Amino acid sequence: MKKAQPWIGLLARLGLGGILLYAGYLKAFTPEKSMMAVRAYELLPIWLANFFGLVLPWLEIGAGILLIIGVGIRYAAIFGSALMIAFIIAIAQAWARGLSIDCGCFGDGGAIDPSETKYLETILRDIGFALLGFYLIRYPVTRFALEKTKNKTSTPIQGE
Amino acid sequence: MSAKSPQGPDNTTRNLVIGMVAFVVAIGAIFSVVSNRENTSAALPSSVSKADGYGIVFNGDLTGVPVIDIWEDFQCPVCARFEQTNGDYLEKIIEEKKAKVVFHTLSFLGPESVLAANAAACASDENKFLGFHKSFYQNLPAENSGVITVDYLTGLGEGVGITSEKFKSCVANLDYQGWVNNVAASGSQQNVNSTPTVFVNGKEIRRATSATELGDYFDPAAFIRAVEGK
Repeated sequence: MKKAQPWIGLLARLGLGGILLYAGYLKAFTPEKSMMAVRAYELLPIWLANFFGLVLPWLEIGAGILLIIGVGIRYAAIFGSALMIAFIIAIAQAWARGLSIDCGCFGDGGAIDPSETKYLETILRDIGFALLGFYLIRYPVTRFALEKTKNKTSTPIQGE
Repeated sequence: MSAKSPQGPDNTTRNLVIGMVAFVVAIGAIFSVVSNRENTSAALPSSVSKADGYGIVFNGDLTGVPVIDIWEDFQCPVCARFEQTNGDYLEKIIEEKKAKVVFHTLSFLGPESVLAANAAACASDENKFLGFHKSFYQNLPAENSGVITVDYLTGLGEGVGITSEKFKSCVANLDYQGWVNNVAASGSQQNVNSTPTVFVNGKEIRRATSATELGDYFDPAAFIRAVEGK
């Protein structure tokens, strides 16, 4: 288990980092859709939803890059997990209120036909990614990280 | 940030990398925010009113008539369906001066939507917006398939009787790109989250809820009732 831990961490980094980078990239260059997707949750004031729609994709890209190359892993993992939890809450409230929206995770989004909603799948997927983030927060020492650490134990060492 | 990490050289690399990533994120975010703001100095087509969300306005001088705001994207197939369902009626009430109609051409589906919206504004300058609009939807190409080009749009314009060089250069040079962006910014401010979205006197008409329950959008009789308030 001790030996496997850095390898699991590597997979967690690539999984969470990959999805953040991919999702951010798809949205960063379609800003109108991205704003629309955040507005469709009907959770935030319109101006704030639009602001998040524009800025969030870039933050996802940043956190994704850090996780993939392995720098500031713990911070990026905290951000990624927090984001996933926020998404889960947003999707759950949309579901509970009976909105018909796409999650907007990958550049689509906005109102859709009620038969096309995928709330449960999306929530389960995001729980999975949040767990990857939790793992990295607990064990940020991983294989092939650019940021080298001397401590080889599995205890967290680079958090402050 | 980290002040107590023991590894000197690695810390430098780490901070450098974090700094670079933060820089890219900041530049990207600032670029997104700035480029999606309203540009008050953008050239506007004729018959556009800033007060009406930069939409192309018909019968803007009328009072006491229903006001219909149509938010659409030229590449949206459901918008084509709306046009096919209600386009003739809309043209009729515009001609008979029975309603004020405002077309808001969004462009969130991609660059080809921007080209098309710009061309529609160019057509508006030639008083051919409605003809162009109808002809475009009748021949709607697949989304972002590369079909919508300058030549395609000037050809469509010719088909509805626009032959001026001014139209061609307007389409080719994206004269109204700034305006297209302003329409999008206005849609964002007004919380338009899908297309088509249609408001009558500021209130959205009933959406379709199933394939058979067509709402006010795709049932011509229901749309007329929604407009005429019966």
